Amino acid sequence: MINIQDIILKVFSGAGATCIIFFSTIIFSLPLGLLITFARMSKFKPLSIFAGTLISILRGTPLMLQLIMWYFGPYYIFGVSFGLAWRVPAIIIGFSINYAAYFAEIYRGGIQSIPNGQYEAAAVLGYSKSQTFWKIIFPQMVKRVIPPVTNEIITLVKDTSLAFVVTYTEMFTVAKQIAAAKTTIVPLFVAGVFYYIFNYLVAFIMEKIELSFNYYS
Amino acid sequence: MKILKTLFSLLIISALLIACGNKAETVQNTESATAVPTVKKFVVGFDAEYPPYGFVADDGSYKGFDLDLAAEFCKRAGYEFVAQPIDWDSKDLELNSGNIDCIWNGFTVTGRENDYTWTFPYVDNSIVLVVKSGSGIEKKSDLAGKVVMGQAGSSAMTALEDEENAELTKSFKKLEQCPDYNSGFMNLESGMIDCLAVDIGVAKFHLNSSNGKFVQLSENLSSEQYAIGFKKGNTVLRDEVQKVVSEMWKDGTFLKIANQYADYSLPDMICLGDYVK
Repeated sequence: MINIQDIILKVFSGAGATCIIFFSTIIFSLPLGLLITFARMSKFKPLSIFAGTLISILRGTPLMLQLIMWYFGPYYIFGVSFGLAWRVPAIIIGFSINYAAYFAEIYRGGIQSIPNGQYEAAAVLGYSKSQTFWKIIFPQMVKRVIPPVTNEIITLVKDTSLAFVVTYTEMFTVAKQIAAAKTTIVPLFVAGVFYYIFNYLVAFIMEKIELSFNYYS
Repeated sequence: MKILKTLFSLLIISALLIACGNKAETVQNTESATAVPTVKKFVVGFDAEYPPYGFVADDGSYKGFDLDLAAEFCKRAGYEFVAQPIDWDSKDLELNSGNIDCIWNGFTVTGRENDYTWTFPYVDNSIVLVVKSGSGIEKKSDLAGKVVMGQAGSSAMTALEDEENAELTKSFKKLEQCPDYNSGFMNLESGMIDCLAVDIGVAKFHLNSSNGKFVQLSENLSSEQYAIGFKKGNTVLRDEVQKVVSEMWKDGTFLKIANQYADYSLPDMICLGDYVK
């Protein structure tokens, strides 16, 4: 007889590994995305072309391939081996940079949606360029990009299962292995429920944040 | 308005044409069904990343020792051969749901004797330990404090987690899992891990094609046998396959196919002769 409680406990034992990827990626990719946006919108052509190419490559190739590249790259390109200690950093770098590329374009859309009149008004009021951005443009941009950023974060929760391609045993891998060992698909459903609850929480928190920005009504 | 009318009439005409086409086709189908008895399908489940038993050939088609054997069986027994690549972790779901008729793909009997209905074992396979050349690891005891890897859901992993090897496994620094053996060998080559536990056929393939980058330890992790696995209780189909495969052994076809995979030292591993009388 299959013990459901046992299965749930085992599947959730992989949840910690999933959370490590998720939270690290959020922490690094959100600010990194802003840096890439600045580069992309820079008036200095080489920098903006570089950022544009970077975004194009990061969005145009599979995340799975990028993870393999970060994990094996040091050895196969530079001949340096860090051993297994390199696995978690490689995964976090791969995820963060990939997601930063998506965030960068979302931010750019947010910034460019602010009417020019606001820049002119700020100039008239004597705001410097950086004051205009951080005090006037940035807060409005944040408010406008919350729905698409929520989309990306939800995708990230599900994408964490890609980490097994570089031998990182996260929750979905654990679920698949238990399913194979016990010849039942229950662990896969348990994993599905976990992803759903996680994403429900993400959506709930993001909605609260969105509401807190709703200062005009 | 005129354009709209023309478009609308074109739409009606094409819809009529499609309807007619369908009718003609159905008629044809019933005709052919009465003329020739329907050919029954024989769906073989296999892992497409498991050379030489099943893999993707240079031209993109599925190739392999087991697939060649299965195709030969279908030819003799009058089945239509379907090679269905599966996710190895989901093999039981595929088999139990009837998506595939059998698993014919270097499928290990040892330890699974009562989980499936099996044919005679036809390949004797062992699980060996492979290390990087010049690593200084020569025997099992040298693996103490090292990082060892096996493929998730594989018999190598089962062997490592078996009580028989509990003491050895406990001496490792870490026991890791990889999604496929190619990834495993890349992990070994790049120094992520110290040792890879792998089926002998796959080990020989990588040892032969990697110009001395890897070395196989003389001590094996375990010895095991391969057979064709059917859903438990499906003895009718098992008996049919076993009968035809035994005939293939007697007339030499079996070894002829095995010899095509001599690079993988397959002919040396064949053990069907011990069972077919």
